[in-house]
Amino acid sequence: MEFLNSIFVKPFADMVGAPDFLLQVLWEGLVAGVLYALIALGFVLIYKSSRIFNFAQGIMVVFAALTLVGFHEKGVPALLAVPLTLLVMFILAVAIERAVLRPLVNQPDLILFMATIGITLFLIGFGEIIFGGENKVMITEQLYIPTGSFEFEPFGGFVSIEQKDLTAVIGAVLLVVGLLVFLNRSKMGRAIRALGDDHQAALSVGISLSTIWVLVWFIAGVIALATGIVWGARAGVSFALEVIAFKALPVLMLGGLESVLGAIVGGLAIGVLEKLFEIYWGQPLLGGNTETWFAFVLALVVLLFRPQGLFGEKIIERV
Amino acid sequence: MKKNLIRYALLPAALALATAFGGAAAFAEDSINVTNLSYRTGPFAATGTPIMNGQRDYMIMLNERDGGINGVKISYDECETGYNTEKGAECYEKTKASSIVTQPWSTGITLQVLPKSNVDKIPILAPGYGFSPMADGKVFQWAFNPPASYWDGASMILKNISEGNLESLKGKKVVLLHLDAPYGKEPIPLLQAYAEKYGFTFLPIPVGVKEMQNQSAQWLQIRRERPDFVLMWGWGAMNVGAVTEAAKTKFPMDKFIGIWWSSHDGDMKSVGEAGKGYRAISWSLPHSESPVMQDIKKYVLDAKKAEIGEGEFDWVFYQRGVLISMFTVEGIRAAQEHFDTKVVNAEQLRWGLENLKLDEARLKEIGMDGMIGPFSTSCSNHAGHAGAWMLQWDGAKFVKVSDLLQADQDMIAPLVETEAKKYADANAPWPINEECKM
Amino acid sequence: MLYRTVGQFKTSYHADHALFPVKQDAWLLGLILLLAFVVLPATANEFVFKALLIPVLIYALASLGLNILTGYAGQLSLGTGAFMGVGAYACYKLITIFPEMNIVVAIALSGFFSAAVGMAFGLPSLRIKGFYLAIATLAAQFFLVWLFEKWAWLYNYNSSGAIQVPTLTMFGIPVVGPNATAIVQYYFVLVVVCLITWFSINITRGRIGRIWKAVRDMDIAAELVGINLMKAKLSAFAVSSYIVGIAGALFVFLWRGAAEPVLFDIQLSFRVLFIVIIGGMGSILGNYLGAILIVALPVIISAVPRAFGLPIGSAMAEHLNTMIVGATIIGFLILEPHGLARLWAIAREKLIIWPFPH
Repeated sequence: MEFLNSIFVKPFADMVGAPDFLLQVLWEGLVAGVLYALIALGFVLIYKSSRIFNFAQGIMVVFAALTLVGFHEKGVPALLAVPLTLLVMFILAVAIERAVLRPLVNQPDLILFMATIGITLFLIGFGEIIFGGENKVMITEQLYIPTGSFEFEPFGGFVSIEQKDLTAVIGAVLLVVGLLVFLNRSKMGRAIRALGDDHQAALSVGISLSTIWVLVWFIAGVIALATGIVWGARAGVSFALEVIAFKALPVLMLGGLESVLGAIVGGLAIGVLEKLFEIYWGQPLLGGNTETWFAFVLALVVLLFRPQGLFGEKIIERV
Repeated sequence: MKKNLIRYALLPAALALATAFGGAAAFAEDSINVTNLSYRTGPFAATGTPIMNGQRDYMIMLNERDGGINGVKISYDECETGYNTEKGAECYEKTKASSIVTQPWSTGITLQVLPKSNVDKIPILAPGYGFSPMADGKVFQWAFNPPASYWDGASMILKNISEGNLESLKGKKVVLLHLDAPYGKEPIPLLQAYAEKYGFTFLPIPVGVKEMQNQSAQWLQIRRERPDFVLMWGWGAMNVGAVTEAAKTKFPMDKFIGIWWSSHDGDMKSVGEAGKGYRAISWSLPHSESPVMQDIKKYVLDAKKAEIGEGEFDWVFYQRGVLISMFTVEGIRAAQEHFDTKVVNAEQLRWGLENLKLDEARLKEIGMDGMIGPFSTSCSNHAGHAGAWMLQWDGAKFVKVSDLLQADQDMIAPLVETEAKKYADANAPWPINEECKM
Repeated sequence: MLYRTVGQFKTSYHADHALFPVKQDAWLLGLILLLAFVVLPATANEFVFKALLIPVLIYALASLGLNILTGYAGQLSLGTGAFMGVGAYACYKLITIFPEMNIVVAIALSGFFSAAVGMAFGLPSLRIKGFYLAIATLAAQFFLVWLFEKWAWLYNYNSSGAIQVPTLTMFGIPVVGPNATAIVQYYFVLVVVCLITWFSINITRGRIGRIWKAVRDMDIAAELVGINLMKAKLSAFAVSSYIVGIAGALFVFLWRGAAEPVLFDIQLSFRVLFIVIIGGMGSILGNYLGAILIVALPVIISAVPRAFGLPIGSAMAEHLNTMIVGATIIGFLILEPHGLARLWAIAREKLIIWPFPH
């Protein structure tokens, strides 16, 4: 009885008992969710257009953030460092397309997936040689990102909302809207979607595969930079950031590998749910740190009932 | 295709070559090989690098200034582990034939090599880390953790936060925010014993290695629990994450205290002003004007024998690295004298490390006056249980804010004994040093 | 010339499907076994045993287990590291609960625990496949490693949270633990690996193996010809996890001597997967070739600059090593996506028809 009570009653009583704390938990979950969604978005874009499960998205986040900070350390003004970093990400996209994707065209999915793990290792070694291993500070203030915090006092408690988190959420929304407009309205964007729908048909109407691949990897690079700035502002920039790539995987499972909308909704849902579970069930009952697996198990359970994910295309993954 | 075949045919040959070079590390006449299992890469590189630099530079300085130790050159070498246990074990195998000491540099690697030390007869030097029961020299004959173990550190922190009166902790709540790895779990048994004896609530909160940079869940828990003090056993990126989150949650910084591995200037620099008031216990004190540091500057850095980062010279960790190399060197000196030999071997070094006498006079002689509390080791006491100071971050650097603290051995000694015995029983047959009567 | 097949002809279907349709293959295997059982132990020093030979064998075994699942039955798994952990922790608990138990028995039994866990986490494969399944196995990976960390009973409530291997003997000779010599451990691992390899070769050639391959190549077609998909997939998960679990037990007991949960991290899963891919999916030989490459590469990379007298810092060597491993993986995938085993197959074909390629 005591046990059932601690699972089904007490957590909810705690939530109602301290509503300000609950709000804080939800906000923290939401911010984490936005970041998961951003990384997942990078995965989805590349998967949609080239069927590559790009494991290197995580290291691209680190690489972009380190390049930005690295330029700034060399004395480049922050606002100039951003376009320069984008240029580096573009060169990286071209290099990946030339050196890795082109020779591997038409190989099975698994081979391409392994190749992106190869890219990950290569970039880790390369990045550490160039930037060194130490933890760096994201140039938050120089990029005019506010660093204060708003404080509210609802229900007699307090909720603090970091301005940089708020900026992150707004920035992410703008980025996603811009991306959707690009994908749906521009010629290039439509070409990307066409390639995702039917490779052969897209090629036959004259869409250039290599151009699109460079473009897609570049967009993934832009998203990586945005993610790197936001996450770096929260916790500093170092190679330990690379592990957040794993966080995006259950998001993909839940949202479907193909769906931009799925990545966003899945990311937010996982961010909020894992935080709630950790605070109200994980820490009191299971010894904490459940965030490492909760999202995966949740996604696994959902998949058992909806094998294509919440937003995935039904036809492809039916057994 | 043919070309490739040749390449694969060459592979075994290359392999043989590699082993030949790996196995037979060059032995020069009249030199002592000291290999460090360093980690300048991986997720903890930021904290490792300054320490390794300090260790290396003290050795270079001795070679340049004095021509080594009593005329014997030290050949200092590194084997990179990346804080990875697997690579660490490989480095141990690779270096155990040539190096007279193993410095495993992670509690995980220490646990791996600890059982082998009895068989391979090579001393493990784990200064201020490793397995706290290693202080029991009778059980852990080959392992040394001078100048103080984690339990000494935990005891000194409790003493300091209670202002010397542990009874005042009654009814309070103390949280331990720790890395979820053998290292972070070390202080838990001692803190539990303290909590029982003095009637305070103790709550460990683990931070997973993957969650180091995203500790919002842990700090939400701290906000909910409202502890009176938060102690931290953090490492690498975890320190930055924790101090940032503490500032965000508005946890009072002066109630937040780290162990010595959480007193890294590089970490705190990236937090800056927000971390003002944060304290950490440390058995080493940076003292850039001391004779030894000035000699390092003169013979190593200004002479361009080695390079370090900007400002690193004044860091706690760099100067701690210097002290750590000093333990090895003093052990070698003691062994040279006792065995009347120049090139000491691993077994002789074991004796040397067991007979360190670092009193104030000796520290002054080697130019390290005031950088470390005086201590000595014996066959039963492999930790030395030196004192430590409380350092506080003032927004730009760490400053000393307490006198030399001493750990409460009445609490620690029984725990060391039971835990050491437990370890020996679990790993039977385990040799115990019966000759040691202390 | 060496591989001339002239004069070797088959008169029955059975003979044609024998293990060694070409006599030279049998000779070659005999030579390799001679090398492994006699020549290498006679010449190797302790470092070579501990840093090259034993890890190659253990990684090859783990990779063999994964290969059965991924290469033969077509189910991609990223949870190998955690399943190795299940084997290791099961073996540790068996040894500490029943100290009299023979180590061989304990290791053999520990495989059953990982097989059970593997089957449980294999259940989703009945509903999902491809990358979705790969991510689902990641759930096993992260959940199990978390469990190793939190479930104190698993490590007998040690304050460090790590498991330590006690000394165990067989016929009076220490086999496991700090007192065991490297050569004894090498022979122990070698015998286990040989037995399991022999078992795997036969199971993958037989009825079950053919069922797996049918499921891999086209599951719907396999179902239509009367194959029970559930049985086929779960049996693949069971056999694969059994072997992986044994590899995990060997990994800790015969090689590492102690283990903390982070040892069974996702990195381990990836390393085993690299071996499978580089060695060649759906090949037994490939596991050994891949393991040799992945284990030896870092050793070579760190030794080569020294051999040429280049002053290279240990950190730099490590960065370069990571970079080169990454580049090698990409290079191999481009060069021969089917792995080293295929390279050998091509070479063997050429040798057989040499010197008249047409």
